[in-house]
Amino acid sequence: MEIIVFGMISGCIILFGALGFSMTLKAEGFINVAHGQMLLLGAYLALAFSSFGLGMVFSTLLVMVCCGFIGVLIYRFLYSPVKNRGILVLLFTSVGVAYAINGIVGALAGKRVMAYDLPPVRALRIDDVPIMTIYELMIVGFALVAAIAVHLFLTATWVGKSIRAVADNFDLARVRGFDPRRTSDYVWFIASALAGVAGVFSGIIGSLHLGMGWQQIIIILAATVLGGLGSIYGVMLASVLLGIGMEIGITILPSNYRTGVAFLIIIAILFLRPEGLQSLWAPRGGARI
Amino acid sequence: MDSLILFLIGILSIGAIYTILCLALNLEAGVDGLWDLGIVSFFGIGAYTYVLLTAAPAEHHQSYVLGLELPIWIGVLGAAVMGGLAALLIGAPSLRLKREYFLITTLAFAEVIRQIYSNELWLTNGVAGIYGLAPPFSEALSPDARHVTIFALLILAVAIVYWLVRACTASPFGRSLKALRENEPLAMTAGINPFALHIRVFVLAGAFAGVAGAFYVWYNTLIVPGQFVADVTFFVWTALIIGGIGNNVGALLGGFLFIILHDALRFLPLSNDMAEVISSVRTALIGVILILVLRWRPEGIVRERPVTIPVRR
Amino acid sequence: MLEAHDIHHSFGGVKAVDGVSLSVPPGRIVGLIGTNGAGKTTLFNVVSGYLRAGSGRVTYNGEDIQGEPPHRIARRGIVRTFQTPTGFPRMTVLENMLVFARGQEPSVVRALTRRREAGAISPDLSDRAQEILALFGLAGKRDVWAQDLGAPELKMLEFARTTMAKPHYLLLDEPAAGVNVALLDKLTEAIFRLRDEGVTFLIVDHNLGFICRVCEFIYAMADGRVICEGDPDQVVNDPGVIDCYIGSASGDR
Repeated sequence: MEIIVFGMISGCIILFGALGFSMTLKAEGFINVAHGQMLLLGAYLALAFSSFGLGMVFSTLLVMVCCGFIGVLIYRFLYSPVKNRGILVLLFTSVGVAYAINGIVGALAGKRVMAYDLPPVRALRIDDVPIMTIYELMIVGFALVAAIAVHLFLTATWVGKSIRAVADNFDLARVRGFDPRRTSDYVWFIASALAGVAGVFSGIIGSLHLGMGWQQIIIILAATVLGGLGSIYGVMLASVLLGIGMEIGITILPSNYRTGVAFLIIIAILFLRPEGLQSLWAPRGGARI
Repeated sequence: MDSLILFLIGILSIGAIYTILCLALNLEAGVDGLWDLGIVSFFGIGAYTYVLLTAAPAEHHQSYVLGLELPIWIGVLGAAVMGGLAALLIGAPSLRLKREYFLITTLAFAEVIRQIYSNELWLTNGVAGIYGLAPPFSEALSPDARHVTIFALLILAVAIVYWLVRACTASPFGRSLKALRENEPLAMTAGINPFALHIRVFVLAGAFAGVAGAFYVWYNTLIVPGQFVADVTFFVWTALIIGGIGNNVGALLGGFLFIILHDALRFLPLSNDMAEVISSVRTALIGVILILVLRWRPEGIVRERPVTIPVRR
Repeated sequence: MLEAHDIHHSFGGVKAVDGVSLSVPPGRIVGLIGTNGAGKTTLFNVVSGYLRAGSGRVTYNGEDIQGEPPHRIARRGIVRTFQTPTGFPRMTVLENMLVFARGQEPSVVRALTRRREAGAISPDLSDRAQEILALFGLAGKRDVWAQDLGAPELKMLEFARTTMAKPHYLLLDEPAAGVNVALLDKLTEAIFRLRDEGVTFLIVDHNLGFICRVCEFIYAMADGRVICEGDPDQVVNDPGVIDCYIGSASGDR
């Protein structure tokens, strides 16, 4: 039971990160390695904000906004200009961005492991069985809200529909009046904001250290592959399954293999069913959301 | 010996090792167009193979398999063979995947392998690594002379690898690889079998990377799983991109240049805190340089140029 | 003898090729025409091995080659061209030719062992390449990257490559697309020259005039089926064909 609960919680954190990652993958077509470092940035920014006395909740919101803007700026100034040079150039540009962010954060914050200054709480209980703390409950709650919000956003709003249109067929979307540039801005803002939040939550559950970005991007990559590259709904399901799966996995294998399990899942999916979970509801060969 | 000279020799030694990796990566990614993000796998496998073949049997505070105390040349050969074999095993299923999937798969394999080094204590002594490895010629030479000798050997190795790689790229084999890189469907109608060529070049690159791994152990005299993180792969790619992807001279230049840029500052005596900050600044700098190069000179410093084919007379 | 037997293929519910059979006897120049969407490109891809048909057989000299990978089919002597003749962009004109030359085995062992020889080519090979390049007006561009050539030169290079390959069967994919009249004449010349040297052709195009000029036997397709087959006169006067071509760009005769 604990495994399921903890798996679900970590799945929710994965969800925040993977959702944004999937969005940029679908919209721009490349693997943004720097996404993990956006998580790192969010976590450390929240640390900075809360150390100025801003309180955790407000800090988190501020982090969302900041990361969102930084994400858009990075896209506009760094990714967009090299878009036409192919996926490999974009990928390695994002590697460069990742190193740049990691270096800057490291230079400013130092390599020590850190943690948020949060009052310790006891786990909430049902029938005297400890389930989760209030923080963890909030994370799960937020994840649900985020998932529903993204779904509504993509299906019900003008901007959301334009994202889907642009992802499916750039030229056609342009003809129909969607502005791909504005659309991209929105995608990057949301994706980066979500990543920042994922970082904060990750820091709440665990601790803050310079390697957390890389650690998370691995798991995010696994969730994305499992869900089907570029499938938004697939990645939602995959994140939760992966979270639970990894917790189950370390009961069988030694706990150090936690991320190893994620990688093995990646390899298995790519060899057996590259379309991932998405293939359960989408036709083969069709790229759907 | 003058400490500055020794320091330079040390840097150039590492540079040589990176250059071998760059030459290997260039062969598979620059000449053939494989998006391999897992070259550190073969680097690490080569290194561990070398250690397990040439080290003394494990003493009570360490645990690892083998330890056959074989001569260094056999160790190096073993490293090459295992590197190539690993490439064969990983490449056979992976090279059938689409490019993007291949990319992710190679990355995934590299990390899984590293976790195996870290976790399987019986095999590799786990996270602690294996220390106290006698560097080659340690009986015969003084430490200084040894460093110079190893350096000379490494330069010789770079020359040999360059010579071999050049032979590959100038040949019909190399032309077929380039054809696959440029236009795979067209290459197929010319009778070129994509999988057969990809796997061959992947194995070659794996073997070269394995040898580089063995040399890495020469230089460090210890081996730790943390030396084989994905960063190495990214650094080698960065070095190649800066030097000039697609041509061997670019690989040569990139390997040495990158290490010089990366490690030059290590000579300065700094306090611990400063050193930490500098190392982060260095990481950021690499990132910035990578971004700039890709933006303004994606072909690298040494651009690939049209080949003039000599005619035998 | 290259033959297709009762080929069927659908894309997501749309029947692109609906029971087509054709045969290309050795030494002949056979054409395949149809408007866009008629299914000729799909059929062409099936015959050249780049697409696996839903059902039906493709045979070469009686042997079933359906499902063989393109490089194996190429080794049998069946080579195809591609609509956009980009060639190998970052390789020189000569390298482009050498890739298609016979006897250039991509062997690693040879590369590593015969180091001195492996980088150079024999004078015979070089001369032959030069001859062919001269035929196509590319003699001076031997060491220039393909991506630095103009569009007409790329077309010429495509023919130069295939001439170098000297296949038994040459499958041309829309050779006349985007080509001006003067160039078209050169292409036609090249095709006849190769035919005289023993190459068999299957040419797919929607330029009716060009096909009629060059081909001895034509299959006309519409809606995935062959609506008419015969020599140029028959096809041109067939009511079904005329029907399809009224209003569509049929090129000049």
